[in-house]
Amino acid sequence: MILTGWEAVFFWVFSIAAIFAALLTVMARNTIHSALFLISSLVSVSALFILLRAEFIAGVQILVYVGGVMVLFLFVIMLVNVGSEERGSEEIFNHPRQVTTSVIFCALLVGGLLYAINVGYEGLQKRDETAVTVAAGQRTADEQNLPEAATGSSRITKETERVGSGLYRYGSLPFEIASVLLLVAIIGSVMLARTLKQEAAVDDTAPEILQREAQHDPEIAKLQSTIAQ
Amino acid sequence: MQFLLFNFLSPALGLLFQAATNGRFATAWEKAQHPDLSKFLIIGALLFIIGVAGVLTRRNIIVIFMSIELILNAANLNFIAMSRYLQDTGNVNAVAGQIFAVFVIVVAAAEAAIGLGIVIALYRNKETIWVDEIDILKW
Repeated sequence: MILTGWEAVFFWVFSIAAIFAALLTVMARNTIHSALFLISSLVSVSALFILLRAEFIAGVQILVYVGGVMVLFLFVIMLVNVGSEERGSEEIFNHPRQVTTSVIFCALLVGGLLYAINVGYEGLQKRDETAVTVAAGQRTADEQNLPEAATGSSRITKETERVGSGLYRYGSLPFEIASVLLLVAIIGSVMLARTLKQEAAVDDTAPEILQREAQHDPEIAKLQSTIAQ
Repeated sequence: MQFLLFNFLSPALGLLFQAATNGRFATAWEKAQHPDLSKFLIIGALLFIIGVAGVLTRRNIIVIFMSIELILNAANLNFIAMSRYLQDTGNVNAVAGQIFAVFVIVVAAAEAAIGLGIVIALYRNKETIWVDEIDILKW
């Protein structure tokens, strides 16, 4: 997997964009700006996925992450936005001592990871030297046989087809478990986000809490009396 | 300013010049023109570290959740790069990395839904999104 020509240029453009957007996500004062920078980081990473010939994952990333999860984030930010962060009256980072410790930790982690990647990749290269050259020739021969796209400038790959068949052949049980996980997440978030009034309406609150809240909320007192009947 | 210039900048420039004359820059430029697996892994590692730094340093719980999304995304980048590398070493059916990336995205979506539900419940009860003010479990 060695990118050449324009692919290399796009690799550097999108990876630098991804890293800077990620840095700004962590450092932005306004939470909305954080979310927007995270969106641009995710889009840049999905461009890297396209460079890695994983078109399906790139599409899923944009649809699910940017279209679903980030919109959810923006909604929640607007629901709980306190505004003191942008006005500058609140500190956005932890205490300086904690920040120093975690930055030192992260620097050590960077050093360790980069060293491990370099050493490990050298070993991989040594192991796979012949396999890579053989497979590269095979791959270019295979790509010649692929059907041409309508514009004539590229060929239609079978990557998505392979991911789909792999998903249903080897990953069908995890696939079903993932659907159950999503159902649990939906039900759980609905249960978590209920107000006390909604909880009281379906008689799902501890009697002591109901008693306490009923003293300064007439609506809950009314609900309490209906439950008591 | 002058202190910075003479004590830090000029030795750095000297080192850069030395590296350039030694031909180290030429090989680095050569390598940069042909990014391979290790470059993708390095980008993934950097994104991961930035996410970890965000989780450790920020006070806003929503930004902490966003940093967790960054971490998961970095893991996805590594999965996809490795899957492509395995395909290029002749393992034609090596799509396990991409399948795993789909599951990571699913889990990230579920985590975001639950986490933001917790944030809403917490904000309703404690009126705060600063993690250092949420200490009801501490005694």
